[in-house]
Amino acid sequence: MEPLQLKRRSFLAQTGIGLGATALGGLLGKDGIGAEAGVAGLPHHQPKVKRVIFLCMAGGPSHLETFDYKPKLAELDGKPMPASFTKGQPIAQLQGKSLKCQGPLVKFRKHGKSGMEISDFLPWHAKMADDICVLRSLVTEQINHDPAHTFMNTGTGISGRPSMGSWINYGLGSTGENLPGFVVLTSVGGRNPQPIAQRQWSAGFLPGRFQGVELNSVGSPVHYVRNPAGVNLVEQQSVVETIAALNRKRNVTFQDPEVETRTKAYELAFKMQMSVPELVDFSDEPQEVLDMYGAKPGDGSFASNCLLARRLAERGVRFIHLYHRGWDHHGDLVRYMNICCGLTDKPTYALVQDLKRRGMLDDTLIIWGGEFGRTPMFQGKGGPGRDHHMKGFSMWMAGGGIKGGVTYGATDELGYNSVDNIVHVRDLHATMLHQLGIDHRRLAVKFQGLDMRLTGVEKSRVLTDILA
Amino acid sequence: MLPLACYGLEGLRQSRSWMTASSLLTFCVLLLLVSTDPTYGNQPANAAEKQAIQFNRDIRPILSNKCIACHGPDEKQRKAKLRLDDETSAKTSVIVAGDLKKSELISRITSTDADTQMPPPDSGKALTETEITLLKQWIQSGADYEPHWAYVAPKRFPVPRVKDTTWSPHWIDRFILAQLETDGERPARDADRLTLLRRIYFDLVGLPPTPSEVDRFLKDSSPEALSRVVDRLLASERFGERMAMYWLDLVRYADTVGYHGDQDHAISPYRDYVIDAFNRNLPFDRFTREQLAGDLLPNATIDQKIATGYNRLLQTSHEGGVQPKEYLAIYAADRVRNFSNVWLGATMGCCQCHDHKYDPYTIKDFYSLVSFFGDIDEAQHFKLGSNALPTRRPPEMTVLSRQQRDLETTLLVQIAKVTKAVKSNNPPKTNPSKKEKSAQLKILQDQLAALRKQARPSMVTVAIKPREIRLLPRGNWLDDSGPIMVPEIPEFLGTIHSDRGQATRRRATRLDLANWLVDSQNGVGGQTARVMANRLWYLFMGAGISRSLDDFGGQGEPPTHPELLDTLALKLVDHDWNLKYLIREIVLSRTYRQSSRASAQQLAKDPDNRLFARQSRFRLPAEMIRDNALAVSGLLVHELGGISIRPYQPAGYYRHLNFPKRTYKSNTDQNQWRRGVYVHWQRQFLHPMLRAFDAPSREECTAQRTRSNTPLAAMALLNDPTFFEAAQGLALRVITDGGTSDPSRLRHAFRLTLSREATPFESDTLLKLLDQSRKRYRDTKPAADQATQAALARLKPGQKVETSELAAWTVISRVLLNLSETITRN
Repeated sequence: MEPLQLKRRSFLAQTGIGLGATALGGLLGKDGIGAEAGVAGLPHHQPKVKRVIFLCMAGGPSHLETFDYKPKLAELDGKPMPASFTKGQPIAQLQGKSLKCQGPLVKFRKHGKSGMEISDFLPWHAKMADDICVLRSLVTEQINHDPAHTFMNTGTGISGRPSMGSWINYGLGSTGENLPGFVVLTSVGGRNPQPIAQRQWSAGFLPGRFQGVELNSVGSPVHYVRNPAGVNLVEQQSVVETIAALNRKRNVTFQDPEVETRTKAYELAFKMQMSVPELVDFSDEPQEVLDMYGAKPGDGSFASNCLLARRLAERGVRFIHLYHRGWDHHGDLVRYMNICCGLTDKPTYALVQDLKRRGMLDDTLIIWGGEFGRTPMFQGKGGPGRDHHMKGFSMWMAGGGIKGGVTYGATDELGYNSVDNIVHVRDLHATMLHQLGIDHRRLAVKFQGLDMRLTGVEKSRVLTDILA
Repeated sequence: MLPLACYGLEGLRQSRSWMTASSLLTFCVLLLLVSTDPTYGNQPANAAEKQAIQFNRDIRPILSNKCIACHGPDEKQRKAKLRLDDETSAKTSVIVAGDLKKSELISRITSTDADTQMPPPDSGKALTETEITLLKQWIQSGADYEPHWAYVAPKRFPVPRVKDTTWSPHWIDRFILAQLETDGERPARDADRLTLLRRIYFDLVGLPPTPSEVDRFLKDSSPEALSRVVDRLLASERFGERMAMYWLDLVRYADTVGYHGDQDHAISPYRDYVIDAFNRNLPFDRFTREQLAGDLLPNATIDQKIATGYNRLLQTSHEGGVQPKEYLAIYAADRVRNFSNVWLGATMGCCQCHDHKYDPYTIKDFYSLVSFFGDIDEAQHFKLGSNALPTRRPPEMTVLSRQQRDLETTLLVQIAKVTKAVKSNNPPKTNPSKKEKSAQLKILQDQLAALRKQARPSMVTVAIKPREIRLLPRGNWLDDSGPIMVPEIPEFLGTIHSDRGQATRRRATRLDLANWLVDSQNGVGGQTARVMANRLWYLFMGAGISRSLDDFGGQGEPPTHPELLDTLALKLVDHDWNLKYLIREIVLSRTYRQSSRASAQQLAKDPDNRLFARQSRFRLPAEMIRDNALAVSGLLVHELGGISIRPYQPAGYYRHLNFPKRTYKSNTDQNQWRRGVYVHWQRQFLHPMLRAFDAPSREECTAQRTRSNTPLAAMALLNDPTFFEAAQGLALRVITDGGTSDPSRLRHAFRLTLSREATPFESDTLLKLLDQSRKRYRDTKPAADQATQAALARLKPGQKVETSELAAWTVISRVLLNLSETITRN
């Protein structure tokens, strides 16, 4: 433990947070999953939410067919894309191709009291227009999937940095007794799914226990959570108890605090072996709830994952990250939007409503969106589609402390560049941390001589306009 | 982990962290004592007042942490045109040596007015009282600057005199003891011989000693007993495997491309080259040269070409829509980050966009270094890279390992001999011995063909016409306005050209760069050696002499024993970069042999062991946890090198991979049971057991792994089928070789796993558990069958074992394999 301890100690020294010896001891002494304190001095201010559910639409859904209606683009449909937009701009698969405008491929209507414009692909979203705040002016810095996800999750395209779920658990600690504080759920459906790397939920240079833990819908829900064949729970328990007894007896002489930490990790492991199966077992959910989400137990669908997300939220998990892979619509956009929205629209609505009726939406922040958006330009791998686009796209936030029924920011008339109230990924991070009671400038950890932050060194701002 | 209760945070900062503020005075007095020792330094005794403050140790960390971001090397961020890292700048403005009143720096840092106060209140940085006092003392005593310790060549220091000359004559120990005596401390007692033996085994070969090796050592009372073991282990092929684990972390070796589809790429011969290099003790300067520029060496050998796989280890992508220009910039930055981290201990990553905020590296230096690598052919993979497994990453070379090539030579010689015999005589049919010869020839030729089939492709470096490298302003690859750069070392370290000033210069190459790195006369050889020596010290002592293994810059921790570190570095250089020599010196020191147990007083005074007054105790690295379990259970298969292996892995673990979709098939042959260093390293989805025990993804340089203890790791060691089979293997071994009674079998199990006897408590507890388990498994036959399947498949013909017995001993084995002591290097 010494190097790690050293690092954490210098982290703390660097964050400039005054720490009593007790608090420091508390942080260093715990090394397991389960309830634990975070960095002393946090939260920096009264938090609005306890947890985040991040619905990542991996592949990059088109903003132009979801939340950002562009009549001008419809007008120019099939015409050359004005070079003033694209000259000298980084372009992904359309490099060197002639660039044509592609008008919106779906109708938009106004919904809710606010008259929010939402496309017909998302009828269930339309019902909750007044619950969500759409950000139409996102900007990222990476144009390819893998680095763009890395950027969205860690604030940089460089590998090896902690992801946001890790940062949050590191800073605030976790409240779940027998579960990790950062859980990742994935589902598939739509166009050929882009790969998604474990890097996206890596703890980077933070201690390993802050990494995201994948919950698997097939096989063992968590790796190695099941006993080996021929070993029952009673036997497993006596094995763990014997390990603990022998470790502790031996440590009477050695007095090595790490032995105690490790022994506790074994005891927690055994508790997890019991709590995880209970978590993923939906048999205690009424049929009405299953229907509301459209979840069939064990099907690994986005719907089931949304329900699981609610169960994780109930059990104190701090950061729940859902990936739905299938949104990379270079071609046949209409067909694949129908599939992707068909799989995700209703469960998303159900999740928001379910949390709301349980009184949990107030202390949960929900974030929806992809790693980037899609070009106003036509791409035709199959029927009409769109290429990757990073200069302007849409996401939404909902839940604790976020104004519902608000549309914030705007792209230009063709949906190319964000022009009004631009929201950089860093601003999204800053706002998310703010709602959790964290000042993004002050959650820093020293690594390789630098004060590393989720929001990096560039300026970023909390989107105060959308906060209730 | 050690308690830190009595330390205030400020007392822990940087170099002063092993000293409480209150002990500062004592420290100064002690320094005074040291300075009067004529062997220790050249300062006259009356300069003692000045010696109390050392810029590098006391002042630089304060300036670096609190001031340099705005008053340092980064021109764009610099405020008031003031550089506090630059003596001239500082002394012509805010510092008047010897005069606190006239030094604006002092009035600023002591001001309470928010408008003039430094650091500004909104910076979130504040100086502590201790720091202010130190800065005052420093200015009062002349405000002497020192060049940064890591940027100057190591100096020669005489071995210090010590009061206790009986503890050890070893030069390393004298350096350690001198510091301890200065601090009024004593080294720990020696570790007991058993602990020492296990430590040496894990440290040098990454494996536990066998019971007979333990017995032999414990019985050998000669003074050479230890050095004999050390020499035997250093000569073992397992040594190279163990050292490679560390080197492969540094150079970020992996079997897959890392980005997007994370396809396999061909590189395993490079891993074998590294193992082989450590085994044949390739001098570190050559090791360096071959990896960076083996292809540029005259008459480059196959091994030297394989070594250049180093330049190809970075993450690559051919995701649809990748813009080659962008990725060339990404690759270039990746290379410079890794190169500077591995050999310079520098963190140059920031210079991709701007001058370093704390260190003298500039954006210009960054792209000058990029330029050295501008001749590496990487255009090909954008064109030819595919979604096949493995993907194509030309230039590649299909090669046999060095051992295989030796075997090939032997076969060719034999074939020539036999062919001659066959040809030189009558037709073989008429002569039976000729017939035999023909048959022999056929066998030899088949062997040769089979051998050659084992050739593997490996990515290598092939130099092409260097591409144009521009400085990218703010790291923006779309911006072509930056100047064209030529290969050059960081400016503050001089120039790569010895003929500075000539009008025409040959373009410097990667080979020049490598030569500069290891040239202790005209290059930074001494500094490179210091980086490596510090890492070796870390491997064998548990912490570096400078704790920052990967940051020798201003934000890193200065060495606790700078003279020792310099001496280690110079020994490495002086002994022709002989790594085994330096390792041997370290592990045969008494410092190394100390017990890791700390007294309460030691823990309180030096919780982080910055005095090295004891050894370290730490959990084994991930690969060794695997190797250890396989070794004690008798499952481990030793085979040097080869393709990467695939142990059991949870089903569906690769489901998030695509292009192509991946199905994982674990090895069913003996490859299943080989060492962790050979496990297929999938960057995006590293084997979950390795990951649970903190093995890095190898996307970036890792000089120091974290060591965590999580329930995920506990579940892996409890439930991963590899470890369950190991437990069964151990059970079978114990039943087969451990005698017939329970106590004698338990004794055997302990000797195999922990190299010691069980205590009465351990014995009682485990024999009770054994009885319970035996009873349960007798009652539930199907469970016993399931729990022993793997072991039953390993029974020798005719061997009969009661499954309930085997299952019960498997329970005991699982406990033993999971004990904290089992997975701890002490």
